[in-house]
Amino acid sequence: MIKKVFEKPLSWLERILFIDFIKGLSVTIRHAFSKTITTHYPYEKLTPPKRFRGFFGHKVVDGREPQPAFEEWVERFKIEVEPGKSRCVVCLLCKRACPVPQLFEIEGEKLPNGRRRVSVFNMNMLLCTFCGFCVDACPVDCLFQSDIHETASYSRKDSVLTLEVLERIGRDWQRRREKEPDRIWIDDAQRMRLWYENDLKLPEVKKQ
Amino acid sequence: MESLFVQLLVIGIKILVILGVVLGLGAYLTLVERKVAAHIQRRPGPMVVGWHGLLQPLADGLKLITKEDIFPRAGNRFLYNLALVLALVPAVLVFAVVPFGPEFEVFGVKVKPILTDVNVGLLLVFALGSMAVYAIALAGWASNSKYALIGSMRKAGIIVSYEVVITFAVMGPIILAGTLSTYEIVQQQINQKLWYIWLQPIAFVIYMFAMLAEAGRVPFDIQEAEAELVTGFNVEYGGIKFGLFPLVEWYVEVLSLSAIAVVLFLGGWSPINIPFLGFVDPLFFLGPLSPFVWFVLKVALLFLFVLWLHWTLPRYRIDQITETAWKVMLPLTFVNLVLTAVLAPIVWR
Amino acid sequence: MPWAKEEDFLELKKKFKDLQIEVKPTITNLHIPKHELIELLKELKQMGYKLFIDHSVVDFPERSPRFQAFYILYNVDERKRVVVKTWTDGTLPSIEKLWFAGKWAERECYDMFGIQYEGHENLVRAFMWETYQYHPLRKDFPLEGYANEYLPSLNEVLWGDNLQGLMNYDRMHTPVPTLEDLEITEKRRLKKKAQLVLNWGPLHPGTHGTMWFLFDLEGERVVQCDVILGQLHRGVEKLAENEMYNQFLVYTDRMDYISALCSNQAWVVAVERLLGIEDLVPEKAKYIRTMMSELQRINSHLLWLGTYALDIGALTIFLYAFKEREKLMDIIEGITGARLTISYPRVGGVRMDLPEGALEVIKAFVRRFPRELKDWETILSRNRIWLRRNVGVGIIQKEDVYFYGLTGAVARGSGVPYDIRKFEPYDAYPWVEFDVPVGENGDVYDRYLVRLEEMRQSLRIVEQCVSKLEKMPKSAPFFAESPDPKKLKLPLDGIGLKVPEGEIYSSGENPRGELGFYIYSTGGVKPYRVKIRPGSMYNLCIYPKLMKDRVIADAVAVLASLDPVVGEIDR
Repeated sequence: MIKKVFEKPLSWLERILFIDFIKGLSVTIRHAFSKTITTHYPYEKLTPPKRFRGFFGHKVVDGREPQPAFEEWVERFKIEVEPGKSRCVVCLLCKRACPVPQLFEIEGEKLPNGRRRVSVFNMNMLLCTFCGFCVDACPVDCLFQSDIHETASYSRKDSVLTLEVLERIGRDWQRRREKEPDRIWIDDAQRMRLWYENDLKLPEVKKQ
Repeated sequence: MESLFVQLLVIGIKILVILGVVLGLGAYLTLVERKVAAHIQRRPGPMVVGWHGLLQPLADGLKLITKEDIFPRAGNRFLYNLALVLALVPAVLVFAVVPFGPEFEVFGVKVKPILTDVNVGLLLVFALGSMAVYAIALAGWASNSKYALIGSMRKAGIIVSYEVVITFAVMGPIILAGTLSTYEIVQQQINQKLWYIWLQPIAFVIYMFAMLAEAGRVPFDIQEAEAELVTGFNVEYGGIKFGLFPLVEWYVEVLSLSAIAVVLFLGGWSPINIPFLGFVDPLFFLGPLSPFVWFVLKVALLFLFVLWLHWTLPRYRIDQITETAWKVMLPLTFVNLVLTAVLAPIVWR
Repeated sequence: MPWAKEEDFLELKKKFKDLQIEVKPTITNLHIPKHELIELLKELKQMGYKLFIDHSVVDFPERSPRFQAFYILYNVDERKRVVVKTWTDGTLPSIEKLWFAGKWAERECYDMFGIQYEGHENLVRAFMWETYQYHPLRKDFPLEGYANEYLPSLNEVLWGDNLQGLMNYDRMHTPVPTLEDLEITEKRRLKKKAQLVLNWGPLHPGTHGTMWFLFDLEGERVVQCDVILGQLHRGVEKLAENEMYNQFLVYTDRMDYISALCSNQAWVVAVERLLGIEDLVPEKAKYIRTMMSELQRINSHLLWLGTYALDIGALTIFLYAFKEREKLMDIIEGITGARLTISYPRVGGVRMDLPEGALEVIKAFVRRFPRELKDWETILSRNRIWLRRNVGVGIIQKEDVYFYGLTGAVARGSGVPYDIRKFEPYDAYPWVEFDVPVGENGDVYDRYLVRLEEMRQSLRIVEQCVSKLEKMPKSAPFFAESPDPKKLKLPLDGIGLKVPEGEIYSSGENPRGELGFYIYSTGGVKPYRVKIRPGSMYNLCIYPKLMKDRVIADAVAVLASLDPVVGEIDR
């Protein structure tokens, strides 16, 4: 269906009495007396939603791994499972799925009892595109993206995430946000500053 | 001897008051503009420096003063600095003929709150306004940059056209008052119990547009159009010199020209007027301070109206600005002149 | 289906003896030897294939002749598309008399492949600087380039640090342009005819990105104008030959970074058509993709409106538009996880289902948005200053639309109802109702009205998608199931997605124009050649003509109404 759009020129009365200006001015003055919508960063901050694609982390072994996938992969590669340490099984699927594979440096080591374990896992965030393909590829739900987005640093070395940093982010995430429901955002009160004029009614946050 | 000493003392105090108030107020008007603009745009404006941003002009001034003063290699240094002086001085001098209130007596000395009550006050105002062209043309030329040159040529064209328009527009109130002295015009409005705006709406509207054009505010700020000329003729200025140009242009000139508008059309320091009948003063409880408060209130209202226009309207193209001035506004001023000549006897009685 | 059939060309077969017509399900090719190319193109233009879509070259280094050139043309009245192909060893006749847009396409092929065009008026490089020696898209040019320029770090030069080998640092670098190179490039463009040459760009707050314009001025009037592009060239087409089909999705975000979801959708639909799995994609995924794409269209038009009003002087509309944009970004962040570079659709569906609460928020947004639009129209649309600035400026005639290859809102403002969503529907567009706004005069004001109306129609589409999605059960699938996992692997993360041999040209309606992908695949997981047809680049090529004999103040208005994004022009 085609809809024609065209110009409606001004009439003489509108020109003399400046009605077009007055209408525009009335809109502006109405906005001048409404509430402001800014969030005073850094005194007030918005919480990113659970799906936010920020910095990466490794979830640690705590009994909530996806079974039977975890058992199968551990048996296939003979991994030594340590509670409190990363779930990584050194399958290198994340490196294969990444558009910039050079950012991953993954190595495993053989332990004296014949099992293997991940020893080096460096991710260079300066090369990362934050697309999330590696998260989709990980078969044991180990690599994930957290809500850390304030990541300025003074040297290039600080932007390389090592295995300890990844495990730390993972432990913090699992404690803080893993039980959250998959909702569009969790900080309703803060977001109402921007959305108050839209008459928004969201369903309640279900406690789990 | 004594009266000469007393007169010099009075003039000295007036000069200090005017300079201090005008320049200090000019700096704080930047904050007022930023806050008004911000609230129109649904955001809070400066909030961090001082309570709700009240110390922001000090922070800005400090920052601008400590910035490096970069000078283009092939520019003309003398004209570069002279342009700034030529811009600042005439704009502040206009306040010399603005009457703030009626004559009053203190310690036995009659004092008129106007710096010099010459009987060609209005002529002085427009003569000083024309000096602004020098400042802008020199600034553009001395910067040795194509963008600055284009910007200054545009602005010079605009000021020249609108000087003519503004001179004709104010002839209406001059005819009705019968004098060129600013103090006398206000006195005549009080005697005739009439604000001239009721009889001269066309002249008032044209004067407002011409004031916007002279001061370089939207809808006539094509020479500072950020999208094309990146701040126009002051693109090569740095530090406090860069800060002084908008201060003079946007704030001091708008203040001075709206003070003249209040004097000519809105009755200076008189309270609310019912045409031909008399005055009503809701602020009577302030006693002898009431006329000064009324004057300041009217100037503030006009200034806020100018700000409101700035943040709503788009801007005209350069050839459209000059076209409007010569083809539309000037004939309208002639029409207004004829109408005034016909209606004047009602007022003169 | 949009591809021409063999019956349409029976007349042509009688005239051209060497013409071979090849009809495949994904493409229709006309093969012709080089000496009859211009005649065939003229005949096709007479037949009605007037709209120029694209022209480029594929490199087969082991064959002789080496290059296969292709020209894509479109017939707007009958809605058919055809591709004309020819083989060459390094020279081609120029089509600049037939289509001006071809001039820019040929400059790009000269820059990237080294093909000489006979009869081209000013054959200079399109993206690289004039003294650059190589032709990057040839197959013998390595992906990393030739690192033969000695460029030590400032830390080494000033303080004697030895950084060689640390953090991937190497002192030898690929060629970098110097100031002299840029000056030589500038001089080879414009022959000065008038008083002064003004450089508008490459760094300027008024051009929408890093574009470099040269104006030849006589007072305030522009005598001639030229554009130098390439400041944001990142070599996306070369990178595409090294990435898998799903991994290339990340690069499509970053080309037109303002409407990232629409570009993602265009690429994903192209690969799905090449695989032939369009019917396998579940309904829920199609509705989600359509809804997100239309929300992104509103987002992009809001940015256009904000910057357009800002350039003309209405400074508050910028912030009002960004307030609404902030709400849209909140929605998109809640559903996909990112605000600018999104990568949410996948080959076969979408990445994740909608979270809870998403549909309520979208409904709340849709309810309030028409009132905001009405407010802004009160300030702008019938304001006398706005009308004087925009009416009668930058008029594009209907024939110019075909001659310059214009698409999108620019074409619709001049009276050509060209909308890929209606002509070649993809995803859920056949199942939603919406109108296509078309203007009359083709000036800047008409394009402004067209884009405002498009925002309202996008709202209509979003409402229909939301009502459909509410009725679907929560367990409906959002990603396709492969019918035969041995023959066709369709993983969510894209590892191992193999595409059979073939080629396709498929396009999507971006807010900026038509974004097309020509994919040539020789089997395997990586494409052989990807040519991206940028809508902004062909929209921009009419700019020098529009600026002749106009004042500089119009330069901003006309440029903003064409709505270019440099990421898409330079790729």
